[in-house]
Amino acid sequence: MNNSKNRFSTIFLLVAAASAVFLTGCKKDKATENEIITMVVVHLTGIGTAFDTEFAAVDADGDGIFNTIAPIEIPTNSVFNCHLHVVDGPLTDITEEIEVENTAHLFVIKTSGGGLSVSDLNTDDNGAPFGLESTWTTSDAATGSVQITLYHEPTDKTAADPGGEVDFDVVFPVKVQ
Amino acid sequence: MINSKAAVVAIGLLCISVSVGAQHCHVALRGYIREASSNETLAFASVFVKEVSRGTMTDDSGYFSIADLCENTSYTVEVSHVECAHFTQIIQLKENTTLDFRLVHDAVLKEVVIVEKLVAPPPSQAQNVVEHSDLEAARGLNLTETLKKIPGVTLLSSGGTIAKPVIQGLHGNRIAVVSDGVTLQSQQWGNDHAPEIDPYTADIIKVVKGAAGVRYGVGAMAGAVILEPSVLREKAGIGGWASVGGFSNGYGGVGAGSIDWKPRRGLVAFRLQGTVKRSGNLRAPDYWLGNTGASEFDFSATVGWKKGRWKQTMTATQFAQSFGILRAAHTGSISDLDSAIVSATPRNNLNYFTYVIDRPSQQVQHNTLKYKVDYRFNDLWKLTTQYNFQYNQRREYDRGRRSVIANDKAQVIFQLWSNTLDVALEHLPIHHWQGGIGVQAIQQLNYVTKGGFIPDYLGWGGSVWAMERWRRFPNPWEWEAGLRFDYRGNHITTTGNANNNLDKRLSFGNVSGSAGAIYHVSPALTAKLNTGYAWRPPHVNELFARGVHHGAGRYEQGNPDLQSEKAWNTNLSGEWEAPNLSAQVSLYRNQVHDFIYLNQPKDSIVLTIRGPFPVYFYEQADAVLQGLDAQFSAKIWLGLSLEGRASFIRGYRLAHSAVSMPDIVHRDWLPLLPVDRFQYGCKWTFFRDRTTLKGASFVRIMATTAMEQTRIPMEGLTKAAPSRFTLYSLEASHTILVRGRGASPAANSGRLLEVGLNIQNLTNTSYREYLDLFRYFADMPGLNIGIRAKYSFG
Repeated sequence: MNNSKNRFSTIFLLVAAASAVFLTGCKKDKATENEIITMVVVHLTGIGTAFDTEFAAVDADGDGIFNTIAPIEIPTNSVFNCHLHVVDGPLTDITEEIEVENTAHLFVIKTSGGGLSVSDLNTDDNGAPFGLESTWTTSDAATGSVQITLYHEPTDKTAADPGGEVDFDVVFPVKVQ
Repeated sequence: MINSKAAVVAIGLLCISVSVGAQHCHVALRGYIREASSNETLAFASVFVKEVSRGTMTDDSGYFSIADLCENTSYTVEVSHVECAHFTQIIQLKENTTLDFRLVHDAVLKEVVIVEKLVAPPPSQAQNVVEHSDLEAARGLNLTETLKKIPGVTLLSSGGTIAKPVIQGLHGNRIAVVSDGVTLQSQQWGNDHAPEIDPYTADIIKVVKGAAGVRYGVGAMAGAVILEPSVLREKAGIGGWASVGGFSNGYGGVGAGSIDWKPRRGLVAFRLQGTVKRSGNLRAPDYWLGNTGASEFDFSATVGWKKGRWKQTMTATQFAQSFGILRAAHTGSISDLDSAIVSATPRNNLNYFTYVIDRPSQQVQHNTLKYKVDYRFNDLWKLTTQYNFQYNQRREYDRGRRSVIANDKAQVIFQLWSNTLDVALEHLPIHHWQGGIGVQAIQQLNYVTKGGFIPDYLGWGGSVWAMERWRRFPNPWEWEAGLRFDYRGNHITTTGNANNNLDKRLSFGNVSGSAGAIYHVSPALTAKLNTGYAWRPPHVNELFARGVHHGAGRYEQGNPDLQSEKAWNTNLSGEWEAPNLSAQVSLYRNQVHDFIYLNQPKDSIVLTIRGPFPVYFYEQADAVLQGLDAQFSAKIWLGLSLEGRASFIRGYRLAHSAVSMPDIVHRDWLPLLPVDRFQYGCKWTFFRDRTTLKGASFVRIMATTAMEQTRIPMEGLTKAAPSRFTLYSLEASHTILVRGRGASPAANSGRLLEVGLNIQNLTNTSYREYLDLFRYFADMPGLNIGIRAKYSFG
């Protein structure tokens, strides 16, 4: 009787110990990363002019919605170099990382309304469109907008639907004045 | 009173053939079957009168009655109770006689074996048990697939790897999954979160349809899925089974085994059980479904101890699964979703076979630790205390840039810890009333690591319940009534990256009740009527969800002002159980007050970083779900039988016709309602092993026809409902008695080899299911040939 009781308690403890091992044996990695783009910056520098301004779309509270989108106000009949910057998380500039992975990313820049045209998108290592850098040309005064979309892992960079997933899709109002 | 020797070993099912002969004798034999040393009555013991080939089974209170026996005739009465050597007694009757038969235990064990009692008698709601052959045929598939043959049960799936059970149109937090007496506490709020249960652990799986809140708590508003393991070994020795299976679609394999051991000395019995599964990309008839591989590893260990009035069990289980999410279903923005929907072939598809599970993927882990102790005060009263701890972890892996996906880090980890304590005081029939009272306490902690789609919260709750059932054999009526009160409190702390402190305290409390009547019209025909009131508090995601639900391509917005959902469920069912025909029809109406659903008001768009998304708001309105489930199985000639099942459901809610006229309401159909579904076919049982009564060998051909859903809500539909389809399946199973060399027939009795074939989607038909959330992106899997073998011994 006593024996069987002792044996039982031994077994009980063993099972308890074993379960404690498996219950805590799971992977622990608290440092998860999340891809939350919080800022997109359009950096325009005038060719032959002193114009040098950054226009930003910012998600200040990290809820996935841009709180402020700066209107792009630029002079008429000028040519600009456009360089885009992408910021992830609180303050991590991921532009360089995107540039390294240029074949897996595509910036598509579409204008609507008058006054602005975009050309000369730079290319990736395979010679396919990339778009981190481009040339913006303004004509007479007008208002319109520019839509900038970043695709991740596009399947066909030249197709109307490049495939892959959209990392961000933002529309800046444009005022050529 | 007649004493006899016989053995009582364990619980199980015993089939009794009843055939009615033309006799002109009117003497009845009735009485109780009792366990000799404890004097406890035995339910489901069989009593068989050899000369007239008639028998019966004792009811829940251990009572039996056999009518129409002749006077002054010698009868051989056989009394047995599951899997044991039965005993026989010769009796002669002169008039209506009441005899109590007492079964004593096998002399070798010298221990009183108290047979496990059901917690309560079967419910008065409609209940379906998964047939043994169907359970075996579904081995290697997930729990939900195992249930899909039951009328009224459908699948809410996300491609071929994730499926949730839907009972009479409701799913998720509205149904409870109860395995081995433990209600699964996991994250069922997500449509792509499947129950974390290994069906290999279950010996019996059944579905209770209708409000089962009194028995199973607030989660069981629309029903419950109950899994029961086989009982631990009572006899000293080793037993168990080993099973292997292979599937052609996805080149999958599964291996599972279980071993039971009871040492010759001591009061302890053990069980170890495990399951391993692996499969690669599934294939639709026209293409591979990229990234649909899965792997799973589950195990459980049980130790039981029994002595006199005490019985203790401790169980530890682990469920660990990792699976890919269909690559084509992963969209970053609504424009991706639109492109995916219009695309004829899956967009971004990886059209090749691989076992590799790439992002997007999920890893799910669920651990349960259960300790249960029973104490019997006397023959009637029993006190049960059960404590269980559960830990649920979901890791969701998203696609992203190299630095984001480096180090195998998950984008979001949902964790849920639960502690539950149940105490129940139950009694066997006292003046024909059987039932019990109980209390429950639960505590939960939910923690979301980053990417907070739902906030962190701390939850606690308490319940009290009472349930009683009246049955006086042979009175044809049975009555059942239950009452329960539940309280649930939540402290919702933070959301997002802990930068949004909510600090909200919400509490909900409500009464559940049920009343049922069962009328035994004849030995074959039973009518059941049950009406029940059940509720559930709104879940934290319905209250506070805020963010893009990527798989669904929508932005979900919770509503902190939601009230509890209350359901008034009434079901009427009729069951016919005879040797040549079994049939069941059940009609139900579920009136849900403050039904919580996702609604998209027209033109509600939120502009997120990934572009515009439609906004879905959690709202509530009164809703009604009603329908009919039916099934039959009829033996028509020799071993050939016909089978059919059908389920119909209609569900609508009251909607406001226009914002400007809030008083004018109209009916709108509910989203995600199962389509009308028919299953029909024939089964040929060509050999039956009479010594085991289980595992009859058969071939079955079935067809499933799912109609097109035409009753769709007016708003929020992004792709036309899939058209009607018919699928064919073929199943076969054969059981062989394995004979060892030179071993005695008795030693061989438990050794069985069962081999089976299960071919799904026989014609390799391309189809899409209305309740598949990935129907926007790809077809369902095509032809799948599964083979399996199971060896059981001891």
